[in-house]
Amino acid sequence: MENGTYRHTARKLYDFIQSNLYFNRPDLQVGGEQFNSTLLFSLLTALLGGKALIIGEPGLGKTTAAEYVGSLLYQLPAGTVWASEVSGHPEQTEEKIIGRPDLGKLNTGQEEVVWSHFVQLPVKIVDEINRLPETKQSMILDGVDRGNWEYLNEMILNDEYCLFATANYQDQGTNTIIAPLLDRFDVMVESRYPGPSYAFLISQRQEKEELLRHPDLERELQEVLKEKLPPEEKKSRLGAISESFGTYLQESLQLSTLDSASREKVRQHISAVGLDQDANAYARMLLAELSFCERHGQKRSSEVCEEGCHYTGYLCHRLRNCASNRLPVSLANYAKALAWFTDAGEVGIEEIRAVGPYCLAHRAQWTDTHLSLLQKDRRDDPLQIHLARQAISEVYQRYSEQAERVKAALANAYRIFQGEVLEPLAGDHPIYAEIRKDLNLEE
Amino acid sequence: MNDNRERPEQSEDLEEMLQRLWPEVRRRHLYPELPLPRFDKSGSPVGMEIRNKQIILNVDYIEAMAQLLPVETILEALLDHGVSHYTCCPWDLATHLRLYARAKKILGDNDLARTAADLFMDVVADTHAVRERQSSLPQLYRSGARTPLEEVIFSLYEEIWGVDLGGKRNQDAVKRLVAIPYLDKRRWLASLTRFIRGIRPLLEETKSSSPDEQTRMGRHGFQQYAPEEIEQALREFARDADSPEEFAEVLEYLQNELESPCDKSGEDMGHGAGSPVEANRLYYMKLAENYALPLRKMPLKDSGHLHPHSHRPWEVCQPFQDLDPWSSFGKYLPGITQIWERREGLIYGKKEKTPNCLVIIDSSGSMVDPRSQLSYAVLGGGCAADAYLRHDASVAVYNFSDAPAGGREYLSFTRSRPLIYKVLCRYFGGGTALDVDEVTSVALEDDPDIFLITDMQITNLDQTVSRFSRLKNRVTAVHVGKKSGALRFIKASVKNKNISVFGVNDTNDIPRIVLGSVRNYLALE
Amino acid sequence: MFNPFEDFKDFLSKAKNLPLDRLAAAHDQIMGDLAAGYGKLVEQELKSLVWFVEHNRVIEAYKTATEVIKEVSYDAHSIEDFCYVLDSGTDIPYLISGPAGIYIAALCNNADEDAIVLRLGEMKRTLHFLGYRLPYGKSLRVEGDAGNFTGSALQGGEVTVTGSTGDWAGAGMTEGKISIHKHCGRNTGEWMQGGEIWVGSRIRGLGRVASGQIYQAGEPVGPA
Repeated sequence: MENGTYRHTARKLYDFIQSNLYFNRPDLQVGGEQFNSTLLFSLLTALLGGKALIIGEPGLGKTTAAEYVGSLLYQLPAGTVWASEVSGHPEQTEEKIIGRPDLGKLNTGQEEVVWSHFVQLPVKIVDEINRLPETKQSMILDGVDRGNWEYLNEMILNDEYCLFATANYQDQGTNTIIAPLLDRFDVMVESRYPGPSYAFLISQRQEKEELLRHPDLERELQEVLKEKLPPEEKKSRLGAISESFGTYLQESLQLSTLDSASREKVRQHISAVGLDQDANAYARMLLAELSFCERHGQKRSSEVCEEGCHYTGYLCHRLRNCASNRLPVSLANYAKALAWFTDAGEVGIEEIRAVGPYCLAHRAQWTDTHLSLLQKDRRDDPLQIHLARQAISEVYQRYSEQAERVKAALANAYRIFQGEVLEPLAGDHPIYAEIRKDLNLEE
Repeated sequence: MNDNRERPEQSEDLEEMLQRLWPEVRRRHLYPELPLPRFDKSGSPVGMEIRNKQIILNVDYIEAMAQLLPVETILEALLDHGVSHYTCCPWDLATHLRLYARAKKILGDNDLARTAADLFMDVVADTHAVRERQSSLPQLYRSGARTPLEEVIFSLYEEIWGVDLGGKRNQDAVKRLVAIPYLDKRRWLASLTRFIRGIRPLLEETKSSSPDEQTRMGRHGFQQYAPEEIEQALREFARDADSPEEFAEVLEYLQNELESPCDKSGEDMGHGAGSPVEANRLYYMKLAENYALPLRKMPLKDSGHLHPHSHRPWEVCQPFQDLDPWSSFGKYLPGITQIWERREGLIYGKKEKTPNCLVIIDSSGSMVDPRSQLSYAVLGGGCAADAYLRHDASVAVYNFSDAPAGGREYLSFTRSRPLIYKVLCRYFGGGTALDVDEVTSVALEDDPDIFLITDMQITNLDQTVSRFSRLKNRVTAVHVGKKSGALRFIKASVKNKNISVFGVNDTNDIPRIVLGSVRNYLALE
Repeated sequence: MFNPFEDFKDFLSKAKNLPLDRLAAAHDQIMGDLAAGYGKLVEQELKSLVWFVEHNRVIEAYKTATEVIKEVSYDAHSIEDFCYVLDSGTDIPYLISGPAGIYIAALCNNADEDAIVLRLGEMKRTLHFLGYRLPYGKSLRVEGDAGNFTGSALQGGEVTVTGSTGDWAGAGMTEGKISIHKHCGRNTGEWMQGGEIWVGSRIRGLGRVASGQIYQAGEPVGPA
């Protein structure tokens, strides 16, 4: 299949979910098109193999959005997706999440692991992750980071997977996902109240979940998942059943889906999308503001910003922590996926701005003063996404004013790095100071 | 799109052209978050619609200019101008207000100030578009009839852009304007001051013509801003304004254009933002928001009890009593058997109710009139009130001058911010005496924390001091200037730990002292 | 080692270099030079800690001012802008009215232009010694108010103040004309040797005028 066909398929899947399964208002505009952020980022997460945290009020479709996307993008019947979900509560055990000993065999003195559906299937959904103890949250995120799961002396490898975790609002009162764990998520989105009209529509379409059910195939999948087979064989049999489900969707709903090979191709296409220089320079400028400290060399959670610092107007002054290395990875991956999805050719500043708030919201720890100043503001988003959106927009304005100069400074730095004797370009932004540091020049 | 059916055939072509050009304009301007512009038949050549930030292009103007220039060039130039205002100058309402207020301060006259600020923003936005975004604005400005103001501005463009716009060279008139760093945002206020100095005589000459006739791009409205922007901008403007009067004047002038943020938030401001007294109250409300204290988190403390928190695999060296047979498949094998990890629980500490707050504020003749000058006493009272309100407590205000003679206003405990500010901003300007019995009865009502802000020239000070020293309430007395009366209060505070007295020479410190006490009382981090 | 700026290897700026960049930079340079010159003057004058208006002191200060501006290239508009730089108190935190006014007077007297207009109406403070020693053939128009010693030691030039002035206007002038549209202060025309002072409205007090003429609202009022 051609790149365009894959994109067409992905777009059709988005449209199908939006029109038949997950009703919500559009809240994000990219390239002149309107999208619903929860649905869009869930879909991109599934395509990329990323990690999304979906927050929201109970009953507003946090989990269902992930289930629909997971089911359609990975050709898995809804029943199988449900069966593999991990639900978050304090007593949740490793055995229920990862695997358990085969008790029959254990009684005969043999150690053999029965792996959970959660680790075997590529779509991993954790409901209410914030209710899991930190050790279990960490265990899941470690597994997902590396793609391998261990129990007793056995290991299972996932070569393709994505993670959706849902949580209550991450405000100060209920935050039980600690910052290092939050940082592991690529994006955070809010599943919002759809508005009375869509909400009413949902009540009229209660049968919608049946569209993605297929009891026979679900049973077959269950059987294969239970069997102790060599990994390649298991993979191939699971893949065959998934494709049957894909055929079923094609026949019953006239909906094309992507098989495992196609998804791999899509990932290759996304990875090949380039960044234009504006997107590149803007992202660097953003990262500079999120990590810069003139006095202490870089932002550190343990250090407090000085009063009267020259850089008071920049984001660094309002932040407590430093941007992690995972942020630019998420930013670039999702921007590329978005550019691929909207057929933008390459990642421009628009894609970075669109994904930026969702990549930053859960990672930025703002100062109490900043929070107390803005938390009463009129807004549509939850506070964290609102603050991240404002930050992204503010940096965009600064970039817009001096785009050519910033790019010229970076180009100039390239030449200095290559050995030319030039003076680095100066300017009033942390990026210029960071360039000097990269060039090992004293301030 | 407005009224598609009546549009002449050429307009249909225009729309297609717009659809084609818009993505390219957006790309050049680094993809601003603006929807596809639309055409209309009235207004200035290019404007912006409220709320959804949609650029509106005047189809009549485009058709008229089409006699002189290719339509594509006109459209691109107009879009560049409109987008530049959005992405560069003024960018947001706070900047727009700041520029307008500076112009108003220099020129005095509202309309002149408006024109000057508009012209300055045009020069900045146009220059930005030409320098950074390869704009075709010079071609547009080269064509069409010009107003006297445009003659000068276009001469300026010729000098600073290095292009020939085909007009009369007017070097003398623009001499003061050419070396202004228009694109340096940090210096915009100083640049505007220089700009006005250079253009003032011309502004005064052309004052009689209607605003829309002064330049082809017309006036920049304040209506395009959303309520959330207005809230933020007013907060910043209150901080930047030199006096409540300046704030009130600007707000009064713009009241019809700016949608009052309080109209929507149910803060009971009604239609009042325009009247000086209401604008005054809004000023202190917005200013106090800049002194926000972080919210106190409910303190968590160890419960003193261990509870089974989560499972982990049992290791041989660990005790048996915590084994969980239910999760261990009935086996006692290391690595399979699960043991309960016990943790000490965290519980919410004793939740102390935040006390209510009574602000006693002196508004006698010796205190600053909050309507004409920034009164740090009112601001301090406002900061205290806001902090207590944010902690779900209620606030009472006792504003007094000569209280026994009726010069006082008492607002009983309430959570209505507008009402609190209304009473705080009241100015009597008479003598200074407290109705001690009345104040005591309020103080005994609910044991509120008391903030007394005065210059200590209270005629019945002895009585006041002795009564306060018998109260159990925590009292913060802030006195302005060195007055002998303060000594008596200080003596009382030595004996009574519940009284703290702060003398200030710089009234600027009042809000900080008040917030310091609040921080202390509410045990904020 | 990997070059972290590799992505910008082929960058070509699309930004135009406008004359504005050069003009604004040149203006900033002039302001910097003028501020440096003023700094030198103040340094020289403050050696004795307190600055008094004494005849010799003024002459000495003027001489230093003329010396320090020799190398500076500026025009009449730069003088006006520099007045506001002085007034802002941010770029130059030490405005001392006496030396500052003498410095401005030296700049006016040595400017290339013969007619100088200073729009000082928005200044928070007034400058003394404006028009000091203005030579023949030069005119200085101050739009706004001026401080003490306006047009003092005038040497044939023409000084116009559209607002009011302080005391000692025209003190020691030898020839030329001073027009003050509104009021002026005490000791107006003290030690005046020649020339004319025209005051539109109130004169708070005349000095001991040796020669020359003082008019108030068109009528001669001095010498007594």
